[in-house]
Amino acid sequence: MSTRKEHIPKSLHNAVVKWRETFLPDYDYLIENWDRFFPNDRRFELCAFRELGMCDEIECGERTGQPKATRACDLPDDAGRHLLGAIKAQASTEFGSIQQHQLTLSRAQDEEEQFWILRMMAEELRHGYQMLHLLSDDDWAKFSDASGAEMVEEILSMRTGSHILGAFNVDFDSFVDNATFCALIDRVGKYQLAMQKVSAYKPMAESMPEMLREEAFHLLAGTVPLRRWMEKAARGSVYITSEDIQKAINKWLPRGLEMFGDERGGGTNVRFGLKPMKNAEAQEQYCKEVESLVAGINMRFIRARLPEISSARAQEILDQIVQERKTVEGIAWEDLIHLPHPHFFRRRGVPAFELAGWEGESFDDVDEYVRHLKQHLPDAYRAGRDFKHYLELLRQVHAGEIELKAAVRAMPDLRRVGGTCPCSKSVRWVVDEPLPAEGTEPGAEAPA
Amino acid sequence: MASPRQFRCGRIHETSMSGELKIRVLEDTDLNGVTQLDEKLGGGYRPEVWEHRITYYQRRDPEAPVVAEADGKVVGFMLGEVRSGEFGLEEPTGWIEVIGVDPDYRGQAIGRQLAEHILEHFRERGASTVRTLVDEDSEGIAGFFSALGFEPSTLRPFALKL
Repeated sequence: MSTRKEHIPKSLHNAVVKWRETFLPDYDYLIENWDRFFPNDRRFELCAFRELGMCDEIECGERTGQPKATRACDLPDDAGRHLLGAIKAQASTEFGSIQQHQLTLSRAQDEEEQFWILRMMAEELRHGYQMLHLLSDDDWAKFSDASGAEMVEEILSMRTGSHILGAFNVDFDSFVDNATFCALIDRVGKYQLAMQKVSAYKPMAESMPEMLREEAFHLLAGTVPLRRWMEKAARGSVYITSEDIQKAINKWLPRGLEMFGDERGGGTNVRFGLKPMKNAEAQEQYCKEVESLVAGINMRFIRARLPEISSARAQEILDQIVQERKTVEGIAWEDLIHLPHPHFFRRRGVPAFELAGWEGESFDDVDEYVRHLKQHLPDAYRAGRDFKHYLELLRQVHAGEIELKAAVRAMPDLRRVGGTCPCSKSVRWVVDEPLPAEGTEPGAEAPA
Repeated sequence: MASPRQFRCGRIHETSMSGELKIRVLEDTDLNGVTQLDEKLGGGYRPEVWEHRITYYQRRDPEAPVVAEADGKVVGFMLGEVRSGEFGLEEPTGWIEVIGVDPDYRGQAIGRQLAEHILEHFRERGASTVRTLVDEDSEGIAGFFSALGFEPSTLRPFALKL
């Protein structure tokens, strides 16, 4: 197992650095304090890593066994267009999540937890850089009129509200969102990366292993704080309750499920050899994993409330409370956290805009459903634009004013921009380089 | 076709079927299982300890730590990583630091299977030597490592009580 380090052309690298200075202002603090929190860990570096020695043959789909494409132009038309869309979406999520985390990073109560999130943000920047490397290192002209630099420009110009995937257009309301996002949304990311590791486009496959390694820590940056907070909740903390955590899960899990794509789809990716699993299969595995996560968090609550009992007894109590929905040893079903029904609060996929309740119950009346949502979602989230946009679409769908397909496609298109920095009409992220001196090649120099 | 090894670090969640023993890379959702097993082995209930230890390994060498899973629960784990520069050993060296096997599942060569996985990972990371420290009183553990081919090292441990 070894990797090759690569950089994108200097002008694009500088654009990412400029983006970092804007949206990740604590980066220098992270680097200065790295050894305090991560002694002897490899220092962070803004670069792309390509794994060496990976499989040369297509591992799934119609062309299994044939050589993987090492250049985009060798991909069949449909597969290439599909892949390009996936790379841009992936890049958008990486940069998008940093913008979201930054909103509430400073609200962390625990310095270690805050620093974990900060490291995670820097590594997401590297993951975004990795995707930009794929866009800029190859010629995508067969599939797009935009140049690599233009595609990079568009991605760097996106802000919360204009990203490609829904989960990355939702504002964070508190540091609980930072941790819950890592535990639930980064976990979807792990699935996507793991599936793309078999990609029929070899540079994509080679990009995944190092991203996956870093993603393992990102999950813990969410899981561990959630477990700690649940213990605090069990001890009657005034700072956090299990209801706060539950509502954060209700806010994010539906978005996570939607990130797998429509439950009926994914066959195209498998056919093209880009991923080994269809959407529903991956989503089902994810749900099982999240069940396991929630069970672990609940165990932490039970052990904190009943410190004298054994691990085996705690497991019995958890099973009893969850399965029989009764109060055991003073711990009620409502004291613990649970997963909402997969149809709850959905806007994409099979159950999009269904009036499906938290436990899967059906509602006939939109207003009644809205009151139900009010009970289950965080107060601050309900006051935000994402929820407002969802409710507008929900009402339109059920009043017959908009077709379901159109509602599903509708984005919270509030700040859609293209080509320029959204905070200033005059700033461009990618600055054209001055003409090179005679005899040198533009863009060939690696960044310092 | 890809080797099973290439899929191994894909880290997509897998669960063992009833009776089936599965050796796989440790995940964040194993925190509870490892904590419970440690408690069963006499370590007490120490969730914070395991959260820190597992976070440490996951951020440094996440493909190294492995667990054995049977009947849907963790029945064994082995934690370690490849490091360079320890005690003047500049070459990449695999370090096995923690091992635990559920006493109810002993006799199934779980420790050996865990070791095979982690040693394979160490080889892939370029380590040519694997090291560990065993308490002289832990004859069982010493016997386990001897059976795997470990030999006493010239690097002797010293300690000073403060």
